[in-house]
Amino acid sequence: MQRFFNRFFSFRASFTLVVFIALLIFFGIFSADHSFFKAANLTAMTRLAPDLGLVALGVGLLMIAGEFDLSVASTIPLSSFVFVKLLSWGTPLIFCLLVTFFAGALVGFLNGMIVTKTKLPSFIVTLGTMLFWRGLVYAASRMMPIGIRAWLDFGSWIEKMFVGSVFGVIPVQILWLLFFAIVLGFLLHFNKFGNWVYVTGDNVTAARAMGVNTDGVKITCYMIVGFLCAFMGMMQNIRIESFAANQGVGFELKAIASSVVGGTVLSGGIGSIPGIFLGTLTIHIIENGLILMGAPPFGISAFIGAAIIIFAVLNVAAARVSGK
Amino acid sequence: MSDQKFPAAKKASIKSAKKDAPIVRMVDIDKWFGKVCALRNIDFHVNQAEIVGLVGDNGAGKSTLIKVLSGFHRADKGEIFFEGNRVNFNSPKDAKRLGIETVYQEQALAPHVSIARNVFMGREPTRGLGFMDRKKMDEESMGAITKLGLRIKDPEAVVEALSGGQRQGVAIARVLYFEAKLVILDEPIIALSVKESQQVLGFTQQLKAQGISVIFITHNIFHVFQVADRFFILSHGEALADVKKEDTNIDHLIELIVSGTLEKM
Amino acid sequence: MAEKASRKNKLGSALLRMRALSVFIIFVLLFIVFAVFSPGHRFSSGENMQIFMSIGAEFNIVAIVVGMLMIAGEFDLSVGSILVFSSWNFYVLYNAGVHILLTFILVLCIGGVVGFINGIITVKAKIPSFITTLGTMLLWRGVTLMWSGGLQAGMDLEQNPIMYKAITGSIGNLIPAQFLWFLLIALIIALVMHFHKFGNWIFTTGDNKMAARAMGINTDRIKIICFMVVGTAVAFVAVMQMYRASTFSARAGDGWELKAIAASVVGGTALTGGIGSMMGIFWGALVISIIENGLIFLRINYWWIFTVFGVIIVSTAIISKYLEQRRVMAGAEKT
Repeated sequence: MQRFFNRFFSFRASFTLVVFIALLIFFGIFSADHSFFKAANLTAMTRLAPDLGLVALGVGLLMIAGEFDLSVASTIPLSSFVFVKLLSWGTPLIFCLLVTFFAGALVGFLNGMIVTKTKLPSFIVTLGTMLFWRGLVYAASRMMPIGIRAWLDFGSWIEKMFVGSVFGVIPVQILWLLFFAIVLGFLLHFNKFGNWVYVTGDNVTAARAMGVNTDGVKITCYMIVGFLCAFMGMMQNIRIESFAANQGVGFELKAIASSVVGGTVLSGGIGSIPGIFLGTLTIHIIENGLILMGAPPFGISAFIGAAIIIFAVLNVAAARVSGK
Repeated sequence: MSDQKFPAAKKASIKSAKKDAPIVRMVDIDKWFGKVCALRNIDFHVNQAEIVGLVGDNGAGKSTLIKVLSGFHRADKGEIFFEGNRVNFNSPKDAKRLGIETVYQEQALAPHVSIARNVFMGREPTRGLGFMDRKKMDEESMGAITKLGLRIKDPEAVVEALSGGQRQGVAIARVLYFEAKLVILDEPIIALSVKESQQVLGFTQQLKAQGISVIFITHNIFHVFQVADRFFILSHGEALADVKKEDTNIDHLIELIVSGTLEKM
Repeated sequence: MAEKASRKNKLGSALLRMRALSVFIIFVLLFIVFAVFSPGHRFSSGENMQIFMSIGAEFNIVAIVVGMLMIAGEFDLSVGSILVFSSWNFYVLYNAGVHILLTFILVLCIGGVVGFINGIITVKAKIPSFITTLGTMLLWRGVTLMWSGGLQAGMDLEQNPIMYKAITGSIGNLIPAQFLWFLLIALIIALVMHFHKFGNWIFTTGDNKMAARAMGINTDRIKIICFMVVGTAVAFVAVMQMYRASTFSARAGDGWELKAIAASVVGGTALTGGIGSMMGIFWGALVISIIENGLIFLRINYWWIFTVFGVIIVSTAIISKYLEQRRVMAGAEKT
């Protein structure tokens, strides 16, 4: 049992856990009226956390494989837009979902292809694709929000599935986050594909020499990111009941922050799903806690910036010290 | 273990392997890169359970020769025979399938990943749907490592924590496990300490003791002289000499390499 | 190894001067296209040219120093935030009654310190620079927004006519002072990069850090210095901008980091470092500026700018890489 726990929570993920708990206590004490732990706040947090969480899981997985994806900020509004457009054309709901997911995976596929075939640094490529898609979405939507109530009745099955609550208390979003975290966790830690992800990120020439299709691994990870962005964009769309052109703004940085806080090393090959999961919750409660404490909204991004740096430094130091 | 994947290859080799016949024979091999001739009229063979030291100064063509043998490059002229059968390699996978494995200078190991996962990189045993059989990976990797004489107990140990000699050991244990018949060691001790070099030379002898043939590439005569049965000397892409150890000594070999001319002893 | 690098540098700059030439040609072509197709040919009007030179100079200076840093092998995504942070520092100090000269010096120094922080974290903690500067990008803009409350405030800067003239004046009412500052800075940096040993060290550091260190070059110090130059230059641009606009805006510098990288890439700078030329970056910056300026005149929807930049960044990076590979293979065939 001890061994299982040790494997499951790598050294750095346990550090994140400590930070997470410390922050919970901190905000519990210092938030006005201890509102941090009030039921309303907890419900709101668990409802919103998966927005970042889903994207962070994908981005973190890709980082372990050794690449970055900055284009998530644009894939989210793109998928949301595709979803809304399909709805407005009267497409059956199930097809709206499937086509939206397909669109996200396709964007991911394009990112992966360009990165692996041109061998350019991924952050430049995805910077470029982020700008590319953003321009398209802005132009196509003229930055006007599009409400979905015209085509979606209240209480439809899609709402129950993606924005409802179980037992009226637990928001369904957090269950989706847990679901994907478990699936990706099993994939990364127990499946041979996960081994390929680790070795591709750790030593790509070694992996290739051993017959691992590193390009295929990276493209698959990019497609997973794209799919998760589409899923999250759709979920967010239904929750706020509209498409908004500024959906996803800033998510690329927060996703990287979540990964780094969760123990992912920027050069690849090191990281874990539990770590990323905790990392995204940590970033989320920092945001939430600071707002409750009355911190100015702009200050939050400053904190996230500082968090990225501090944890990136810590991760490198920890990797050198523990040799793991 | 490789039986499961490649039963056909195994059966073919049992059929035609003759005792005392060379395990691999390269006949009249030429290799050109553009206008540059890297290999010319090379006749090279390795016998069963034999260690051949492939030597020559930098640029002699040693790397190119083994890359042709391991399926990385295609020869422009000539033929390759493995266990008596003519073979045609389209990719390194074809060579691996027959049991020709290479241990590279950089070992092809992922530093932050465990030994077990490294040994089975790309060939992970699974229990269904691609989920790894961790127990088998741990046991088998430790088995291969112990067989080599390397004393590591923990399959979950991370490769980065091992010494240079131990890392070579892991890389060699890997090819051992996948039932290599011919192991090519490409400059295996170039960056190792004296003690570690001796350790790796020991591994090489272990391979021979298990009936595996070894091609040991180096430009350092002194080390390989201890373990090799035969020396094949390349110079500027041409075969310079092919001598058995009992027919030569270190000074003679050095003279051959440096002077670049053929001399009978 | 350093000699080889300097030989390579000279060969490199020879071949890249061809690259700079092609970027120059692109610039001229774009100029013609915009001039011809803008309604009433307003693009090429004297008024617009003045704007192009004066406002454009602000970005161009940033592009030059970012390009220099890229040659050294690092990225700085925080330039936009350094800009707004420096603007805020200027605003606060000036309104606190600090003497204009002292304010100016302090703002530049703070910029240098910010650059130093970027450099030291990247180099000592061995974190990829794009992550460090991603973090500082959020940090400095966040701090500025918090402190300023996101305000937009006017300033009266004409009180010191000398400074005012020095920055916003013009020669013969034709060439704005800002443009001259840009030319001066570009010239100094070009001289250092291509003719001074420090420039050679920058090229070597970016090209092969290990080799540079083996030759006794202190690559850490070089990178930190480059980061500091970026910080200081951006602070200077902030002051320039304040004088021109007479306002502090919390949105200053938004998106500049991407444009600066695009300018470098268009100008032939390799993303992996060690390759680039000041001429190339010079014209690359002008190309980016002219595209932004021109698209507005063509009444193309502003949104398309994002897409256009995205395509530019990726396609020119691919072309650069391809050309570089061709050059290497051509060189190898000669030996």
